[in-house]
This record gives sequence, structure tokens and C-alpha cells, in this order.
Amino acid sequence: MRRLRALAALALLTASARSAEAAPLGARASADTVVVYAAASLAVPIRAALDTFARRTGTVVLQENGASLELARRITELHRVPDVIALADEEVFPKLLVPRAASWYARFARNRMVLAYTSRSDGAAGVTSANWYRVLLRPEVRVGRSDPAMAPVGYRTLAVYRLAERFYRAPGLAAHLEARTPLALIRPNASELVALLQAGELDYIVDYESLARANHLRYVRLPMEIDLGDPAHAAQYARASVRVARRTDTVTYTGAPIVYGIGVPRGAPHAAAGARFLAFLLGPDGRALLGAHAIDALSRPEFVGDSVPAALRSAFR
Amino acid sequence: MTTHAPVRVSHRAATAGVVAGSLLLLLLLALPIATLVLRSGLAGLGQLGVDAELRGALWLTAQTATLATLITVVLGTPLAYLLARDKLPAAPIVGALLDLPLLLPHPVAGMALLLAFGRASPAGVALAAFGLAVVGSRTGIVLAMLFVAAPLYVSAAREAIARVDPRYESVARTLGDSSVRAAWRVTRPLAGRGLLAAAVVMWARSVSEFGAIVILTYNPKVASVLSYDRFTGEGLDAALPVAAVLVILALVPLLVLRTLRASAVSGEPAR
Repeated sequence: MRRLRALAALALLTASARSAEAAPLGARASADTVVVYAAASLAVPIRAALDTFARRTGTVVLQENGASLELARRITELHRVPDVIALADEEVFPKLLVPRAASWYARFARNRMVLAYTSRSDGAAGVTSANWYRVLLRPEVRVGRSDPAMAPVGYRTLAVYRLAERFYRAPGLAAHLEARTPLALIRPNASELVALLQAGELDYIVDYESLARANHLRYVRLPMEIDLGDPAHAAQYARASVRVARRTDTVTYTGAPIVYGIGVPRGAPHAAAGARFLAFLLGPDGRALLGAHAIDALSRPEFVGDSVPAALRSAFR
Repeated sequence: MTTHAPVRVSHRAATAGVVAGSLLLLLLLALPIATLVLRSGLAGLGQLGVDAELRGALWLTAQTATLATLITVVLGTPLAYLLARDKLPAAPIVGALLDLPLLLPHPVAGMALLLAFGRASPAGVALAAFGLAVVGSRTGIVLAMLFVAAPLYVSAAREAIARVDPRYESVARTLGDSSVRAAWRVTRPLAGRGLLAAAVVMWARSVSEFGAIVILTYNPKVASVLSYDRFTGEGLDAALPVAAVLVILALVPLLVLRTLRASAVSGEPAR
């Protein structure tokens, strides 16, 4: 009798374990779920777009944010594949994801670098688009930046410094600005810099305009010739090259207009739902949402790669 | 419902259940560690010779975790004593407050520490007067470790002290010891093994801390931050050796301390 009860209990346990296992599998199999990986600087606008998309279509939306390179590694190294991945630098697609983890992607939005600060920042009252670099050079001012080996915003900041040196005809300016940030104030990505800025540890950071706005920071725009935001200045941006020493090698980044990339990776569990979200995000309503968050969506996405879903390609022909 | 199964059988079943349950849990805990060490242990040890950044991160981790543990032992043991002997007014409230840091998600703990001890805060201003800052510094690392791990030490130390019969101290006091001296001479050695175990747990938890540390101090990098950094920048094959070598090296002090504990420190009867 006791043995019977034990058996029954065991059976119950196994059954409940099975059903617990089956629940997420079931959710995964349903087409009404979409999992999106978003670069930290896209977190807020993508959240807004996903919320609207969920309201309209009844889709269950899940979002994970992180540094662009880390998100790509989650796919290539940990084999955790989302339905959509949106990155702060389209270059991460060819560098890490195409061809093994993705066969195509879309360039879809622009952003620009700004100088962000708070009302408490040293010199906040007098900083302008014209004198920003002189403010950063003041010894009492604390300037943070992202690790160029870890995040696009890190090497883009260094590119802005190089371009500023040419633009203001101030030899040595880039090296001086770079040296204003000691190792202790270098962070893995832009969102952690924002936290330090808000906590009063930093006075200034060079960051994306969208992040500055999403976090309600004060900011000054930099001249278009150096802010990496204007495709008309692409040739000028390309004159800035940044060498980043990593543990095993050195990588050179060439200045370029900031272009965000988005795609549905290979093996996405709900590829069709992912493509539907992309169609929404890249369409007129999605573009308006992105624009409201200071992300300049391209009027038409530019697809790279040959196996773009037909529905998407025809929608944006 | 009553059953009359032979006592022997139910004993055997109970024993089997206990053993099976223990093995299952051990397997759950050991499998990821074994996978990590088998996959990347050799690579990690080999890397030790050539990778100065890895050696630096491990050394920094060992130093800061040890310092955080020592500070907690010095400040936390008296607190644990007061809690164990009900000598604090509102001891249950203090005890509950001590559990709160354990509830906080670690990045949130890092942010809270930043707001409380950053240079814009009164405490941060006071620290700066001593040339200390919590951002980008060893101070920040030690503070983060202390915040997330000290509650573990205090609660385990409290249990260890509570297990020592207070009458021994009373006897010492009747022989002329002051209460502090009695606690030091009688209770401390009797609770010694438990205190050591508590310190070991605190040290290990400090070594593994990531979330709070990375908010305060990304550079200089402790081993956990370096491992994350390598994962993001270079991928899994660069990240795992860092973690594997950390596990292998941390095993040495853990084993030494556990052995010390087992060899009956201070004459407490072995249990």
C-alpha cells in the first residue's frame, strides 16, 4: 500500500516536472511570441515599438537588452537565438553574425553622438556646441567613456575626438581628450556611463543622442562634421581611424555614419513573427515611434544579404 | 490510514531516499563545475603563465575578497554575538534588516552603493577626505563584496555562537572574567569552527561577486569582471579559462580552511 502511494507520488512528480518543462516549450512553439535582443541604446525605443506591436497583434513580446557585441555573442557562443536582433552598429552583423548566425540584415536607422551631462555637472551652465572640448579639457572635470574593445559607442567616441582634432585644427586634441578619462572611468557600455553620470560620479560623457534623451539628460549637439550622424559627411568621417589594442590583436575602426542594423537570425524560433515585427518597426508607424525617441529611421531600410524574407523585401521595395 | 510495513523496510526506503536525494543535489551542483573545469581548466592553467591580465585579476580578487572577509569578521563577529545572546534591543528587527542586502538584485545593490557612497553623497565626500573613492577603485570592490556577502557571515556566525551554551560564560564570569573577556576566552573558541565556516562562505561569495562590482568598478578588473569582459569581447573560449582557473585556485584555500575546520579547532568536540 505504502509502496503504491510512493509510486503514485513519484508518477505525479514526474508528470508535474514534465508539464513544467512543456510550458515554455509550448510557448516557444506558438507563433504569437517574439523575442527581441536590443542594443542598450535602442532599449527604450524598441520597448515602445514592441508595446504597440503587442497591443495591435496580441503577440507576446520579450525583450533583452545589452551591449551589441554581447548580444551577438549570446547567439554565436551560447546558441541562445532570438527572433529579432537590433544592434547599434550594422558592422557587427558582417563581423560576428553573417554568414553562420544570420544570412541577411537591414540597415534601418541613424543616430548621432552628443555630449551629455546633468545640471550638477561641473561647467554645466556654460557648455555649448562650440566650446565643449575646452570644457572637457578642464582638469577638474570628470569625463567618462565606454571601452572601445567592448562597445561601438567606445570606438565611436574616439573617432569623434579624432574628427574634432581636424575640425578645430587643434593638433594633439584627440590624445588630450582621450587622456581625460582614466582607466577607472572607462565602462563596458554606454548605459553604465549614464548611471555614473546620473549618480554624480561623472560630469560629461560622449554618448548617443537617443540615450541622452531616453534618460532625460542635458546634452549639446556636436557639429555635424564630427558627430557621425550625417551620411553626407561620410567621406570626412572616414578620415578618422581608431586603433583599438585588444589582448590578442589590434583592430582598426574607420569613422563612418552611425547606422543601426536589425535582422532575424538563422534558426529564430519564431522567424515569421520576427519578420512581422520588423515590417511594423520599419514601416511608417514604427519609424514615427523611433523618431519620437531621437532615432532617425531611414525612410526605407537597406537590406544586405540575399535571403531576405520575400514579404519584407516586397513591403519596402 | 495506518500501515504496518516492517520497520526495516521503511528504514531502508528512507535511507535510499536520503542517499538518492543527496546524490541528485550533488550532481546538480557538481555537473556545471566539472564541465567548466574539464573543458577549460587546462587552458586556464596554461594561460596563467602568459596572461598577465589574468594573473592580475586573480590576485586582485584574492586580495579584495580577503580584505572584505577580514573587515566583516572584525566588525561582524561582535554583532553576531549581540544578536545571538539577544543583547540588542529590537534584535529581530536588526536581524531582518541584515537579510535585506541578500534580497537586492546585485546590479541594484551596486547602484544603491553608488548613490550612498559616490562622490556626490555626504558619505562619498567624507571618504574623499581620506583619499578614498568607491568608483573605479579597490575600495569599491571591497565595499561591493562586503555588502553582498557580510550578511551571510553574520547570520552564520550568529548561529554558531547561539549553539554555545551561555552558562559557560557565566561560569567564567563567576571566576572573575569581565563579560567581554568571558566571551573572548570561552565562547569564541567554542564557536570557532562555525565562525571559520561562516568566513569561508563569505570569502567564496565575495570572490564570485559580479553584478555590484561591475557597477562600481569595471577597472581594475576582478576575475568575474574579466571573465565577462572576455566573453563579450572574444567569446566563450576566452571567457571560460578565466572562470575555470578561478575555481581551481579558489579550491586550495577552501580545502585548507575546510580541513582546518574538520581537525577540531580549539577542542570543540567533533560532531
